[in-house]
Amino acid sequence: MDFAVNLMLGFVGIVLINNFVFTKFLGTCPYLGVSGRLDMAFGMGLAVTFVTTLAGALTWLIDNLFLIPYHLEITRYVCYILVIAGAVQLVEMYLKKFFPPLYESFGIFLPLITTNCVILGLCLFLNLWEIRSFLMAVVLSFGAGMGFTMAICIMAGIRENLEMADIPECLKGAPITLITAGLLTLGFMGFAGMIK
Amino acid sequence: MENNIILLVSATITFQDLWPAAALMLGLGTGFAVVLLIASIKLSIQEDPKVQAIYAALPKIECGTCGFAGCTAYAKAVAANAELLGKCSPGGADAMNKIAAILNLQISGSGAPQRPIVHCRARREDKTFFAEYKGIPACTAANAQPPVQACAFGCLGFGDCVRSCKFDALNIVDGLTTVNYEKCTGCGACSKACPRFLIKMVPFAYDPIVTVACSSRESGKNTRAFCKVGCIGCGICAKQTDLFTVTENLSTMNYEKYTPSEAINTAMTKCPTKVIVHRGKAAPADVSPQPAANAS
Repeated sequence: MDFAVNLMLGFVGIVLINNFVFTKFLGTCPYLGVSGRLDMAFGMGLAVTFVTTLAGALTWLIDNLFLIPYHLEITRYVCYILVIAGAVQLVEMYLKKFFPPLYESFGIFLPLITTNCVILGLCLFLNLWEIRSFLMAVVLSFGAGMGFTMAICIMAGIRENLEMADIPECLKGAPITLITAGLLTLGFMGFAGMIK
Repeated sequence: MENNIILLVSATITFQDLWPAAALMLGLGTGFAVVLLIASIKLSIQEDPKVQAIYAALPKIECGTCGFAGCTAYAKAVAANAELLGKCSPGGADAMNKIAAILNLQISGSGAPQRPIVHCRARREDKTFFAEYKGIPACTAANAQPPVQACAFGCLGFGDCVRSCKFDALNIVDGLTTVNYEKCTGCGACSKACPRFLIKMVPFAYDPIVTVACSSRESGKNTRAFCKVGCIGCGICAKQTDLFTVTENLSTMNYEKYTPSEAINTAMTKCPTKVIVHRGKAAPADVSPQPAANAS
């Protein structure tokens, strides 16, 4: 029971309190790049969630089954990137087959999930936080993806409305997006310390 | 962690240290290669080779003249419905023939590429102005105002067409839009941008092509008063060849039937306001009758 509660808290924690985008400023590039339209942002979020879950679980297994017992921590980054790149390839093939319009609208941002810092960041944090249970690692990985999805969807919703807003000429485009991102982060700081 | 750093910095790395890492990377790489191989077979999609071939034949400038979202979308549409053939004006006859060959079709009719012609040749010094325009510097804005430029049909020269051109093919020279036919792809954006409909897309079966570079339907007297190079509708050209027809005080060229001939040259020399001119890549530089005109 305690473990289940821990899992729940871990999930809420990584989505709201330790949200990778808002508190660690990871994954900012797709967060600003693909958040122009809500449907695309949601698709991107789901793709990233899939990759984080898969990559988080696999890297945890590799870390705990091979790297730590055989003292190969030095190859951690290379292994992680290999796993992430493989997972992204899978997602790409899947999208190309079943969601061609989504695939085409993502363009370069789809292969660029490989370099999405949320994913590598999560894999490294799983190790840093010394998560010793596989289930917890999977929940946290999924939560990180969901947190990213939530962040990018909020951003896309705001940006869709900003399209119609009367913005001063000098702030149009990237500047207002960055200001919005900053204000959103401020808002999410309110969650800090909610779970001890 | 500290052990690792020490290992990196000081210890001589032996084969003993190296092989587990190498074996791990090899194993992981092979594992993922196998998984991806299986996935690529399971998730392979049949892409229509026709669509790819058609896409290759298109100019790939994504102008959207065809009415589709881009060259990929047009290629798919043409492959599905051959009636859409020939909508690609930048590609012109060349692309159309290639696509027809891919689709196993015979094409008929002329496939001359469409190119814009500005139906006005009045530079600033040729025009008459009632006042100085100080409004928004855009043709649409100037066109909505009470006339400042006397000729209500002529080029305003604020460059709405220049801004619409993705290929940097238009310039305003002395208050008149000039087309650089070397850069022009015939996408037709400029003809849609002009609020006075001066820029018309014309089949360029010959280069240069002859045109009546005026749109003024004012009476001959007014045209003469407003502009030094306007068509006054005298009809001298129409007497030379039936390619020219005069309606509403304006002579127009029948571009569909145009072929170079002596009669057209005679019409050009006899035209009292010299408004019949050549347009196209090979056209001689358009020099205004005025001595101080800029010919570039």
